[in-house]
Amino acid sequence: MSAPSVPAGETLETLTARVAAPPLRFPHPRAWTLAFAVASLLLASFVVSVAVLLLDGVGVWGENIPVDWAFDILAYTWWVGIAHAGTLISALLLLLGQEWRNSLNRMAEAMTVFAVFCAGLYPILHLGRPWFAYWMIPYPSTLGAYPQFRSPLGWDMWAVLTYLTVSILFFYVGLIPDLATMRDKATSPRARTVYGVAALGWRGSAMHWVRWRRLYRLMAMIAVPLVVSVSSEVSLLLAAGPIPGWHSTIFPVYFVIGAVFSGFSLIAMIAVVARKLLDVERLITDAHLDYLSRLLLVAGLMTAYCYLFEAFDQLWSGDRFERQAFADRVDGPYAWSYWAALVLNFVPLQGLWWRRVRTSHAGLFAIGLAGLAGMWVERFMLLVTGLYRHYLPSLEGRFSPTVWDWGLFVGTIGVFLVPLLLFLRFLPAIAMSEEKEVLHG
Amino acid sequence: MTPVDIWRAPGGPTAETLEALELEFPMLARLPGMNRRTLLRVMGASLAMAGLTGCKPERSKDAVPYVTQPEGITASEAQYYATAVPFDGWAQPALATAHVGRPTRLDGNPEHPASRGKSDAFLQAAVLDLYDPDRSQAVLTDGAPASWAAFDTALAGWRTAWARSGGAGVRLVLGPTTSPTLIAQLARLRAAYPKLGVVHLPAVGDGLREAASVAAFGKPLQGHVALDRARTVVAIDDDLLGPGPRQVAQMLAWATRRGDAADRQHLYVAEPTPTLTGAAADTRRAVAAGRLPLLVEAIAAHVGIGAVPPGLDTAEAAWAVRMTAALRRDAGAALLAVGPYLPPATQALGFAVNDRLGNSGRTLWWSEPIAARGDDLDALAADLAAGRVDVAVALGCNPVYDAPALPWARARLRLHAGSHVDETARASRWHLPLHHALEAWSDGRAVDGTATLTQPLVDPLYDTRSLHGVVAALTGDTRSDRAIVRASWPMPDAAWRRAVHDGFTGGAAVPVAVVAKLPAAPPAPAAGIEAVFRPDPTIWDGARANNAWLQELPKPLLKTVWDNVVGVSAVLAAKLGLANGDMVRVAAGGRHVDGPAWVLPGQAAATVTLFLGHGRTAAGQVGNGVGYDAGPFRGSAWTLADVAVTKLDAVHAVATMQMQQAIDGPGIIRVVKDARGKAGENAPQDSLYPALAADAKPNSPPEPRWGMVIDLDKCTGCGACTVACQSENNIPVVGRDQVARGRVMHWLRVDRYHSGPVAAPRSFFQPVPCMHCEQAPCETGCPVHATVHGPDGVNEMVYNRCIGTRTCSSYCPYKVRRFNWLDYTGGAPASVEAQRNPDVTVRARGVMEKCTYCIQRIRTATVAAARDDRAIGADEVVTACQSACPSGAIKFGDLNDPRNVAAVARKDPRNYAMLEHLGVRPRTTYLARIVPDEEA
Repeated sequence: MSAPSVPAGETLETLTARVAAPPLRFPHPRAWTLAFAVASLLLASFVVSVAVLLLDGVGVWGENIPVDWAFDILAYTWWVGIAHAGTLISALLLLLGQEWRNSLNRMAEAMTVFAVFCAGLYPILHLGRPWFAYWMIPYPSTLGAYPQFRSPLGWDMWAVLTYLTVSILFFYVGLIPDLATMRDKATSPRARTVYGVAALGWRGSAMHWVRWRRLYRLMAMIAVPLVVSVSSEVSLLLAAGPIPGWHSTIFPVYFVIGAVFSGFSLIAMIAVVARKLLDVERLITDAHLDYLSRLLLVAGLMTAYCYLFEAFDQLWSGDRFERQAFADRVDGPYAWSYWAALVLNFVPLQGLWWRRVRTSHAGLFAIGLAGLAGMWVERFMLLVTGLYRHYLPSLEGRFSPTVWDWGLFVGTIGVFLVPLLLFLRFLPAIAMSEEKEVLHG
Repeated sequence: MTPVDIWRAPGGPTAETLEALELEFPMLARLPGMNRRTLLRVMGASLAMAGLTGCKPERSKDAVPYVTQPEGITASEAQYYATAVPFDGWAQPALATAHVGRPTRLDGNPEHPASRGKSDAFLQAAVLDLYDPDRSQAVLTDGAPASWAAFDTALAGWRTAWARSGGAGVRLVLGPTTSPTLIAQLARLRAAYPKLGVVHLPAVGDGLREAASVAAFGKPLQGHVALDRARTVVAIDDDLLGPGPRQVAQMLAWATRRGDAADRQHLYVAEPTPTLTGAAADTRRAVAAGRLPLLVEAIAAHVGIGAVPPGLDTAEAAWAVRMTAALRRDAGAALLAVGPYLPPATQALGFAVNDRLGNSGRTLWWSEPIAARGDDLDALAADLAAGRVDVAVALGCNPVYDAPALPWARARLRLHAGSHVDETARASRWHLPLHHALEAWSDGRAVDGTATLTQPLVDPLYDTRSLHGVVAALTGDTRSDRAIVRASWPMPDAAWRRAVHDGFTGGAAVPVAVVAKLPAAPPAPAAGIEAVFRPDPTIWDGARANNAWLQELPKPLLKTVWDNVVGVSAVLAAKLGLANGDMVRVAAGGRHVDGPAWVLPGQAAATVTLFLGHGRTAAGQVGNGVGYDAGPFRGSAWTLADVAVTKLDAVHAVATMQMQQAIDGPGIIRVVKDARGKAGENAPQDSLYPALAADAKPNSPPEPRWGMVIDLDKCTGCGACTVACQSENNIPVVGRDQVARGRVMHWLRVDRYHSGPVAAPRSFFQPVPCMHCEQAPCETGCPVHATVHGPDGVNEMVYNRCIGTRTCSSYCPYKVRRFNWLDYTGGAPASVEAQRNPDVTVRARGVMEKCTYCIQRIRTATVAAARDDRAIGADEVVTACQSACPSGAIKFGDLNDPRNVAAVARKDPRNYAMLEHLGVRPRTTYLARIVPDEEA
């Protein structure tokens, strides 16, 4: 593949200038301020929703018996899924030597960190008694009580903690050389100090580069398997229960592919916006968007294949409860979520077969948005149709979200966007050092 | 040792200062919605005042703990007292559990012939009424706090006047009663004031029984049915197994002829609106109430009384022939039961049929009336309307709500004595607060006539008096309640002590031999839509409307809570375009009532059912404004012909536990055709997992293996188990809104299913507690070991460890787990907290809970057995639901003990595990329902 990893005509100097400029003198401060204000509003919604939740209990949500998980676990799986694409782009493509990723990987890594953080909030907040969340950690309790290691929730805790740690380290390690550049370019003494401390004394010596490259690749190698293991684990949260519509071995695959799809959707959206916001159209080119689109298309088609096979699985099972679960999905009170997931995740995607759509910014943004929404609806469908009705007809219930369900979910978007906007504003959003490495040849 | 009352001021208080104090600080006497904080504040105030002017010694004693432990009382151990609680005037024999002086629970009195330890939902819930924070706590005059002293002064004046006038213009209104003491008191009262009138409001459950008895025998008699002697029962709109004061006794008798009994009873039902009896029947027919007299006439004709009436359709005629054949086959051991709400002439005809078949005196017999009889209610209404009533006194009843035809406000002076400031209290000048049954000495007769005694378990919580005390005061009798009641029972002290200890003293009703006269022809059926009225299945006549347990107990067949609905047939709903919850107006004779429509499977096509007992305006915080009041619309009719039903442009969100569901597929409710469960009928389902028979392995023999078996054939769906569980296990009430959100907390729910066509379905009930799976999916899900397996195989819930992930509930195939979504238990009124069972943890917000098989009872028995160095008795551990169940459908115990009832039931060929193919090995199993293959 002829990777247009660095546009023709770029030199080391122009590259540095382009990437280092925004943190030092932001090109579109008004647009950024507006976006930041919106994100802060969302964050405020998070704060209020969490306060209400902690004061009154999870009963402020619309959950009940039988639908005792809904927006909480939904949002958890959704955010975890989004994170995966970031890891794939930056770590997997790094290991595969796909240099075009260098324009996107920093943003993807940042997205991963913030998305995992959002995901990690939910398993704690959804607890009836969140202040005891630490009981899931095996610590030497005076009561001799230990976590129950068969529980998928215990694995969740490990998965998210591991993923968060690795994502942060990977992100930060990749950032070090660029932080040093920023230190050198910064004009104000305060910025110099901050960047300098963060750069950990990076001087760009050959030894530094050798060790850095080794560490960076090592981190990438640790990160890539996590993509598969974390989302597989998350899927077991559902699949481990003997619930028709959940209790299926296809779930890990289903979740991983869906996760990657939703993550690519979000990266596409961020890339489209960030190249304008940061004035880096020369670095994130149409060719980059084209590659992203192809990845998105592949992930989307795999997701569609999963839908197909899941339906086959349920119908072929011969189990009447599984068949009933399928019937409830396609023709129950929540059939809208099934069909919406199918339509949103499959139909807009087909536009990506055409290069014109792949490189059209608005089109790609819209398709990304559809994919994100589609995956959200799909998670809703999986959770709620699994719970609202299964073995005993008498157990049938309904779920309808309350204002606090929405408040918290929208709030976590704020939790995601605020640090992302701060990142775009104050840190080099494109990996300069890696771009330059390519330039060096 | 009596604690010294250090607060008493020198000289002691005078009556005047006490009265002044009571008037000065009325908030002391009335504590609306008392919580811990106000209680503490009030307690502080009363101590301070005690220092100022002294206080009644009982009051301060309440707050003083034991200095020396009284002999025979261990604080951690419960005490049991035999007593009784009234229901429609009948004494419901009870065994009350008290913890350190607090009554916490009521069960049936195991020695009493009318209860044998069993109870219904009403008895179970009665203990909550004692602690109702809305109970009236002070004498009121025109709604303002007054004192008993003021009342006594006023009464002294009235007594003088009445003595002069002979009580002319004085009318007493009471509820139905069977209390010999009260009856004697009323007789003394009439002797003292010959012109005084006494009226008893009719018991709603009795309908037109008295008129029917007069029509048949020329005098009122008390009818009794003996279901244990009946091999064939044809019930024509007679809810023999349904709610009411006779439910426990009749279910007990019925159950002896049910299940695997060799001479299993045949039960056939024809009724306009579905009942529990219809659900339990071998065959059931939906027939409009207006047409039921024709069916009775046809059966009568076939046994040789009268002629077959014209107007029967072919199916009805064939049914009458089949029923007659069945009744004739078992003549002498059969029963034609005609319901209390049918025309008296029809009921009388039914009595005559039983005479003719030789059933009378065997399955149906008569005794002299047991309940008190008073003056005519209509005459009182006329007197009130004509302004001939100077003083109207409502004693322990609520005529403004119960008898809306009485123009109560027309009496010049109105007095009300009752437990609540209800509608009548609001319309009266004086209100006198009464004791709860558990605070009072009283007596009464159980439904079988047995003289039953009520002894107080606790000193009155508030400044109340007993009904006997108030009636006594009317004649100037100042004896104590105990002395008044004791005087009604002339027997030696030893015998009296025995009687109080046992809770009853014999005296069951004696049969009288009578022959029913052939009555006048019943009215001809009318065309059009008819309305029938029924007491609410859980609220009954409305006196219990402020009992939150009963409000939240799902109506057995409707599964609605916190509301009454207008029952309509599917046909009528389709015709009027009604969906469940659509408001409808039922109108007749210029009156109307509006309520939410609810489709009842099995409802006669042109019948609407209106439920009484709701729409209270002064029941209390719980019962106010719940549902509609059908009383004024009903007047004194039980069936209204030719009513107009119109759909209104409004929808009412009725909270329901369960939608109307058909059973789809096998495995949930199983049905066999006969008791022995022919081979293959109850075959295990295909499963990937090893067969259930292997379940003897997991526990080694020395440990008990607790398990439960529920006989679906004996379960009538009455709901006694649900309330019994609620009172035993401190289960909170969550209210209409939370129920509508699917957050009811009952650990034991009773699922209701239908099969067959909606017009003539078969209905099934299935109580579902925790299954205590041996391979429990919930235990896999919990990340913190909050739900674990105990050594005896009970799936245990560790509340303290629970962090509320709800994974256990997500994974539960039976969805028996309940979550504290909000803080349902904190901030309860202090009085309600006093009801709680100290042996069971009160769960906090954010914690999962579920049926524990009454683990506290298991552990108590285990400890007792270990202490005595013996094995636990075969049936020593009895769960709360099991102890309540009047038909004995719930069996519990150690499955390793072959003598245990549950272990025996497990060997029944009808035994099956719900969803056994999942391989979770539930410890709770079911016995299949027996449905004989017969034409309806």
